[in-house]
Amino acid sequence: MAGLLDKRLWVVSGKGGVGKSTVAAALALRSARAGRRTLVCEVNTQERISRFLEHPPAGPEVMLLEENLWAVDVRPQEAMREYGLMVLRFETLYKTVFENKLVRYFLRFVPSLQELVLLGKIMYHLQEKLPDGRWRFDTIVLDAPATGHAISFLSVPQVLVQTVPPGPMSREAQKMRDLLVDPSVTAAVLVALPEEMPVNEALELHAALKERVHLRTHAAVLNQAIPERFTEADLEALAGHPELHPVAQAHHDRAALTVLAGTKLERNLHTPVFTIPRLFLPAFGRDAIEQVMGHLETLVMGER
Amino acid sequence: MSTTALAPALANKRVLICVGSGGVGKTTVAATLALRSAVEGRQSLVCTIDPAKRLANSLGLSALGNAETQVPASALAPLGVTPRAALYAMMLDMKQTWDDLITRVAPPEQRERILANRFYQSLSTALAGSQEYIAMEKVWELRRKGEYELVVLDTPPTAHALDFLDAPNRVLDFLDNEAAKWLLAPALKAGKLGLSLFNRSGYVLRALSKFTGTEMLQELSSFMLSLSGMNEGFRERARGVRSLLEDKTTGFVLVTSPHPERMDEAIHFNTLLKQHRMEVVALVVNRVHPLPTEAMWADAATLTPTRRAKMEETLRELQVLAEQDQKGIAQLQAACPGIPLIRVPRFGLDVHDITSLWQTGRYLLGDDTF
Repeated sequence: MAGLLDKRLWVVSGKGGVGKSTVAAALALRSARAGRRTLVCEVNTQERISRFLEHPPAGPEVMLLEENLWAVDVRPQEAMREYGLMVLRFETLYKTVFENKLVRYFLRFVPSLQELVLLGKIMYHLQEKLPDGRWRFDTIVLDAPATGHAISFLSVPQVLVQTVPPGPMSREAQKMRDLLVDPSVTAAVLVALPEEMPVNEALELHAALKERVHLRTHAAVLNQAIPERFTEADLEALAGHPELHPVAQAHHDRAALTVLAGTKLERNLHTPVFTIPRLFLPAFGRDAIEQVMGHLETLVMGER
Repeated sequence: MSTTALAPALANKRVLICVGSGGVGKTTVAATLALRSAVEGRQSLVCTIDPAKRLANSLGLSALGNAETQVPASALAPLGVTPRAALYAMMLDMKQTWDDLITRVAPPEQRERILANRFYQSLSTALAGSQEYIAMEKVWELRRKGEYELVVLDTPPTAHALDFLDAPNRVLDFLDNEAAKWLLAPALKAGKLGLSLFNRSGYVLRALSKFTGTEMLQELSSFMLSLSGMNEGFRERARGVRSLLEDKTTGFVLVTSPHPERMDEAIHFNTLLKQHRMEVVALVVNRVHPLPTEAMWADAATLTPTRRAKMEETLRELQVLAEQDQKGIAQLQAACPGIPLIRVPRFGLDVHDITSLWQTGRYLLGDDTF
């Protein structure tokens, strides 16, 4: 398979609590190590990624974390301001317009405007160039919102193109949509856990991204996998140990669920599934991210 | 046998709202509480949002659409207990609930126009807090009908706790904005909207329309206009929802998992609930890993070498997880002083059937403890 390194925008999503930020952090770190200038974007969250990598939080301005790796927390208010300045071109005009209570009120209810400016900021960074004409960022890793929010977030350009009368908003939307649907630019990575709901949500997300956003799933990541350990014979031998048997049984069941989840993802997504074993570390920091990164080597670099 | 803070809540509260981040088992806790309350003799309803298929099936729920369904006796049979009151369950369909609300308060001639308006779509689906609002609005409606002694509400996975608590205010704000009224006043009086809208505040609006296109503003005005007749109905309901949240017979159950991120969110939620003068009945930490006992280690040492190695590795892993959980829970308790904290262990597999709900309930009510 081709590696993610061939694409420029990597969209990471999945059900809440499956470890999207962990995967996004590992992917971004690997991209930076491969010598690509990489920007990792979180969307209006209590930032996690810079914390995982043991750096101070980036905040709403693009901040250099370490060699080749930048981070930003894309927040509505700042994104709206940047977009407003782009459209209106004058700070004073912006202030007059945007600091008007009435205008703020309107903007809050303009359908999808918030998503549009958030996504707009990300797309803006995707197209930013350095003075010498190279991309400012080779790779952008988007730690996208969870399933339902991700679908509505990423569908915004498509929806606006279809519904909004021609004008500045629809032009912006058109540009964004073109980048999102271009398979040579954008790829989605869906994260799941070996449990029923997270797997189902990954399938749902895959279908929705395909139909509503025309965004291809590049690969799935099965996080916190439990490797097989206890055989049937082990379980039988433990039958006389009332305290230990349930422990082995639970491990065995979770390992079986892991196999099942992997199969289900492969069959339904028709993409490779990368497995990250559950880590048992006293604290979750840079070491953990490095370990996760090891399991995603082929996903980033491709088969060699 | 000890009991927890949830026992008196199940006996006396009329509404329990389960809040917390996504993926912590809120739906399970909500269903469990309603089940227990029905078994103990109060007619109860659990209002779920997007439950796991198997959980829905185990409650005899097959479809969305806001229908309150009685959980059949056959579904409860495996428990070997006879509930002393009926248990009902429903799956909340957000969009449908919004549409029902409009249908209820809008004059018939306005209905279609509103339902088709893009601003209405935005209000009913995308506006931060609108999902939370409509879930509470449904509970308020149910509470007003008074058919159930207890209604337990599962809530949407909230990105920001504030969205949830602010939801009634946001909706009120939307309906009741002075600035918008001022802008629309002439049009409202004339009963029609023309470009008059744009002559009034000059270049601010022109600049704004540069941003959104004029049609967008036209459409908003038209939406405001069609809503203006029903503001009072809406406002009365939003006030009702607000006071329901603060009512003495309403309690919040804060659900979290021992994951550090989830616990941070729970602490934040607790702070906000306190600020809003809402009562947190209990803090439920779900899926806690129990610490392997000395007896387990001793017993593992008696196994054949290969099995012993496998078992000891598994116990070591559990030990790491249990210690992480313990540390986190201690921090959580310190950050939420005075709130009763209830731990529910992580069971062998995910909780999706009635028997595991019952097992969860035994921990929630203190029949079983760690």
